[in-house]
This record gives sequence, structure tokens and C-alpha cells, in this order.
Amino acid sequence: MSVFSQSFSPCGRFLAAGNNYGEIAVFSLSSALSPDATDLSQTPILTFTAHEGPVFSLFSTDSHLLSAGNGEISAWSWAELIKRVRPSSLEIPEINAMTVNPTENSLVIGGGDNNIHIMDLESGVFKSVLQGHTDYIHCLSVREREGEILSGGEDGAVRIWDHRTGQSVHCIEVYKYEECARPQYGKWISCLTTESDWMLCGGGPSLSLWHLRSMSPTSIFPLSGCQRQANFYQDMILSVGEGQCVSHCLLGGEVKAQIPCTPHSLNTLALNLNSTDNRVRVLTVGGSSHQIDVFTNLSYRTFSLSF
Amino acid sequence: MGAVTDDEVIRKRLLIDGDGAGDDRRINVLLKSFTKWCNSTGSPEEGFTQYQRMLGTLAQCEFSMGKTLLVYDMNLREMENYEKIYTDIEQNITSAHDKISECKKEIQRAKRIRKNRQEYDALAKVIQQHPDRHETLKQLEALDKELQQLSHIKENVEDKLELRKKQFHVLLSTIQELQQTLESNVTSEAPPHHNTSSSMLYGGKYTCGDHPPV
Repeated sequence: MSVFSQSFSPCGRFLAAGNNYGEIAVFSLSSALSPDATDLSQTPILTFTAHEGPVFSLFSTDSHLLSAGNGEISAWSWAELIKRVRPSSLEIPEINAMTVNPTENSLVIGGGDNNIHIMDLESGVFKSVLQGHTDYIHCLSVREREGEILSGGEDGAVRIWDHRTGQSVHCIEVYKYEECARPQYGKWISCLTTESDWMLCGGGPSLSLWHLRSMSPTSIFPLSGCQRQANFYQDMILSVGEGQCVSHCLLGGEVKAQIPCTPHSLNTLALNLNSTDNRVRVLTVGGSSHQIDVFTNLSYRTFSLSF
Repeated sequence: MGAVTDDEVIRKRLLIDGDGAGDDRRINVLLKSFTKWCNSTGSPEEGFTQYQRMLGTLAQCEFSMGKTLLVYDMNLREMENYEKIYTDIEQNITSAHDKISECKKEIQRAKRIRKNRQEYDALAKVIQQHPDRHETLKQLEALDKELQQLSHIKENVEDKLELRKKQFHVLLSTIQELQQTLESNVTSEAPPHHNTSSSMLYGGKYTCGDHPPV
């Protein structure tokens, strides 16, 4: 079993994880982290089959959990998780990445048909399509301040789109830069994340930090294996991928620490910053195993939740 | 109410008299000996010794009472001391809590600062790769000067070329005129038309171009 996606609830006390059988399991973090936790509290409080195919992407809004499978998106209300609120279907083979653009209240979806679809969250109507990638899209990110959407795909290009005009503003072909490129792994981009003027992208090429104003790579991280997800956290970069560890890196390009974890290859990393309760501020990682590792202190693995 | 106080009294008496042969017994013995002494019919020496004995036990009772009073005082003062220490420790705990939250804020600030510094360093690395601005400006200036010099030279060369062209033009036109006049001289050998030929010469000379003959 592989865990492909994770998402925390808006209150921060629950974790939803999606696997390759199309099931979504909801874990109660507050009971798993409480002092009198038993083995039972490390299993899901609720599991349900959401889609027929793998659940590649999960995203939480203030009241709903959005899950994406093969060509359909379902919205589940966090309050009553069994009730499927509004499914909508697209004619695309699979949806790999979903993110929300809060300024416009729209859902940005990228998937197997090489295009990015933008859907309005309130009405469920598809507003526009961004075309330009020549191969399927792996990851998406939104820069709210500038109103831009970034997408990375199998064709090795990171495209920056303006969400109002729907035009591709920039196209960075990461594999063409010598310092980043790793031809032995390919040119695909599987992880993309942004924070103000900085962007992290990686996959086939090495994980690299880019300055978006000057469109130049500033640091390359010497991580072996392809990185599947990376996040900025305080002054560090957390990244997971093909190794059996979570890598902590500094912005300058050095790898500070590599924390071992259970799954052999990791697919998803999620940080619970939603709640103010310090007990549930955890990092969870999931990958090619039925266990999801939970880190309360970033330096070591505390325990594992079983799917 | 009466039952409660009785219980309390019994409990207290049991507590106080915990060491067995205690003061309670002494007081009872004293009372009994006092009543016996009052009702005694023996000799005055016996009565006097009994009296002395009673004074002794009374003194003992007073001594133990004094001792317990001192112990009570000591306990009270110990309690005060402990209270003081307790409040001190509480204050220390709250100040330690405050310091901890201060330090946490400091850590957050320091992490932000470190992040900013790292961003600057990363950008600085990229900037270093590009050549220095002063050097580039100097190179630009040098190139500008070269460009100006070359354009000057070009202008000069062009002027010279123009001049030579015009000179050649004048030369060629005067040669042509000379040819024409020589031909017309040859044709007009028979009838001597000096005036017309000379006028043609003069007219011819000054109609071709505006340059006076060199």
C-alpha cells in the first residue's frame, strides 16, 4: 500500500490520508498524541472508499476536504465525513495536484491531460483552462501576492501563469541549467513550492532553490534520489523523496540533517500548522508503506499511525 | 454539635497523650494526691513530704507545659518560613515561565533573521557570478571612446575621399574640354575663327563645374 496524499483538518486535530486503493482514512491526532494513547488510537477512526483509483491529492479548505481521484473531485464536509457533498467530474485521466487560490476562491487542478483547470469553489463551475505544458502536470503552487500559479510537470518545465489572463508568464526549463540537471534521472519536476520570492523545485533534476525575481537558481541541494515533496518551514527546508529519510536543509544549500523513517520511499509530507494547540503541531510523512510516521519534535520519529 | 466536639476532644487527647506515661496521668496523680493530702490523717512530716512531692509534680507539669508552648511557637515560625519559601518558589516558577516564552520569541526572531541572512547569501552568490559593475562601466567607456575615434577616422577618410573625387572630376572634365577644344581647333584650322575658338575656350572653361582651373 502506498500513501499518496495527506491533509490536516481546519481545526488541526484530524489527519486525512489517501492511498492507492482509493481509500481515505481519518486519524484523530489529539487522541494519538494524548498521554494515555493506546495502540488503538494509532489506527484510523474512519476509513472510507472515496474513489475507484488512487487518491493522488487531498486538500483542506475551511470546511471541506477535497479529494481527487481519476478524473473526479469530491468534496467531503469535515463535519460529517461520510456525506459526499458535491462531486464534479472532468474528462482527464488523473488529477495529480490540487491547490486553492484564496484570493479568488478557486480551485486549481493539474493532471494527466497536460492542462491546468481552474474551478470556482462556490459554484463548482470550471472557469478557465491553462494550456502550455507538453506533458502531464505533477505539482502546483500558488503565489497569492502576485496572483500567479506555478506548475511543474513531466516535461521538465516550470511554468508561471497569471491567473487573470490565463497566459504563461514565464517558463523555466530546469533541466537546461547545468548545475541542477541530472540526466540520469530525467527531466521531470515532481515537487514545487513557493514562498514570497523563492521557489523550490526538484524531481529528476536536483532539488534547487530559485529566486523568482531574477529567475536564477541560487542553491542546489546535494540530495541523492528524486524529491517528491518539499516545504519551507521557519528557516529550514524539509524535503522527502526516494530515500528512507526526511531531509532538513538550510537555505544556503547544505543538508543539515537526515531523519530516518519507516517507509522506504516517501511520497508526501504535511505540517500541521492549523491549530494553536502546541500538542498537535506535528509533521507527518507517508509513502510506500501502510504506516504514516508522526514527528512531534522535528529531530526524531515519535510514532507511526497505521492505515 | 456536642458529639462533634467530644470526638475532637477525644482525638486531641489521644494525640497529645501519645507517649503513654504523659502529662495527663501526672495531672490525675497530682489531683488524687492533693485530695489524699487534704484528707490525710498522718503526721505533719508525712504531710510535709507529700506537699513537697506535690510541688515537685506541679513543677514538672509546668515544665512540660512550657516546653510544649515553645514547641508550638517554633512550629508557627517554621510554618511562616515555609510559606515564605513557597511564595518565593512560586514567583521563581512564574518568572521562569516568562523567561521561557521570551526565549521562544527570541528563537523565532533569530530563525527569521537566519533565514533572511541565508536568502541574502544565496542571492549574493548569484550576484558574484556576474562581473563587477564598475569594470563593466569602464569597459563600456573604453569601447565608447574607441567607437568615437573610429568614427572620427571614418569621417576624415570620407572627407578625403570626397575631395579626391572632386579633384579627379575637375581633372577629367578639364581634359575633356581640352580634347574638345583641340578637336575644334583641328576642325576650325581652315577658317581661322580665333575669336569664336577663344571665346569657346573661355566659355568652355567656365561652364564645366564651378571650380576654377587648378
